Amino acid sequence: MTRWLKILGLLFLPVLLASCTEVRAWERGYLAKPEMTWRTDVLESALNEHIFFSKEASSGGNSAAGGGCGCN
Amino acid sequence: MKQNPKSLIALATSALALPGIAEADAPPTQSSLLYKVSNYQEDDLSRSETLGSDFDRYDIDVHQFQLVTPLGRNMSLQIDGNYEALSGASPWFTSSDTDGAPQVNLSGASGISDHRSELSVAANYHLSNGRIGGNIGYSEEDDYRAVYLGINGEREFNNQLTTIAFGLSHSSDDIFPTDAELFNRVDDESKNSNSSFVSLSQIINPVSSFQIALSVTEQSGFLSDPYKLRDQRPDNKTQLALSNSYRHYFVNSNAAWHINYRYYHDDYGISSHTADMAWHQNFGSRFRLVPLLRYYSQSAADFFTNIDDFSNPLINSQSSDYRLSAFGAVSGSLSMVADMGAWNATLIAERYLADEKYSIHQVNQPSTALVKYFRVSLGIDFTF
Repeated sequence: MTRWLKILGLLFLPVLLASCTEVRAWERGYLAKPEMTWRTDVLESALNEHIFFSKEASSGGNSAAGGGCGCN
Repeated sequence: MKQNPKSLIALATSALALPGIAEADAPPTQSSLLYKVSNYQEDDLSRSETLGSDFDRYDIDVHQFQLVTPLGRNMSLQIDGNYEALSGASPWFTSSDTDGAPQVNLSGASGISDHRSELSVAANYHLSNGRIGGNIGYSEEDDYRAVYLGINGEREFNNQLTTIAFGLSHSSDDIFPTDAELFNRVDDESKNSNSSFVSLSQIINPVSSFQIALSVTEQSGFLSDPYKLRDQRPDNKTQLALSNSYRHYFVNSNAAWHINYRYYHDDYGISSHTADMAWHQNFGSRFRLVPLLRYYSQSAADFFTNIDDFSNPLINSQSSDYRLSAFGAVSGSLSMVADMGAWNATLIAERYLADEKYSIHQVNQPSTALVKYFRVSLGIDFTF
């Protein structure tokens, strides 16, 4: 099932990019709202990443790793 | 339709704060100071899960600080501080009860008390179509020390509709367990981590954007847990993570929808899926309510066992760490945000439940001691 999810994801990406439209600067008001940023609360994101890094085996994704910890 | 020139200017100005787009070429014009205090409390273990009389697990208080300030016209400085005070117990070893079911023995709640202090400094140079930056950081606990540094940057293309970002980092860590001689633990070990990521952000239309990112991390050195009675892990690990994020603004509802998905794999044999979704509902221009749901599922490491085998030679990898078992987790949080102009306050409550029953991966050996926790946080931001 995982393999099919990956294939579906790879197929989905070009379709998504192809559907992009030209968005001029004055049309970007909604995109500029604070609740539309990738990280709306930087300290909350940092705390969550630290907790999940400590309690689950997975980490990473959209940033390079910082320093480790002796969390157990 | 005739546009009001003032509203056009306002929209064009606000576009300078676009997610991952104009952030790159817009240095901050004001300083901001952020502070967040959190309490993290793990549920006690049940009597059937543990051998001993200690059931209390971690209770952690966290204080986070961040200062971002402009330096001249094109540079900015960011200083992050972090302080954690923790007490409680963590799993020491596992054995079987009279029915053959796994049981965990905790390390002793009265004996564990630690602090972690972290400071990092970052500087960014903002270009007309991008940004380049670097950071250096130091983290210290009673038994652990990490020094790390990194560089990162962004470049915009395609009329600022597309942004490519990258980052490279290195961390050098020292581990020096307490009571090493008393419990026959290693007394001084080290490990190194090298990490890199690349991401592509794309504006799809005036109300939605998409981001895809890939990260690779390689760790080498002492990767075992020195506090566990029998824990031997391979001394090299490569981790891959592919994440996707989507944002959509619903104009009529005055709300933003966030959805994120991450696929992860490492050469310990662990794969995982993480998905979360949040609804940012505005109430007027000052208040926002944000419910968030997250789902996580991972497979087990190749060398995981839920009952320690002390007859297994030490050259064989083996660990009963619950974090290496197959399990699933569901969590939910509710945030309340108040925006008072220069001041901004956020209150968050979160509940997290891990259980092997929630896993979509095959669970051959269910682990004891999976974590359930409750967290509450209060954050204050001040712009000046």
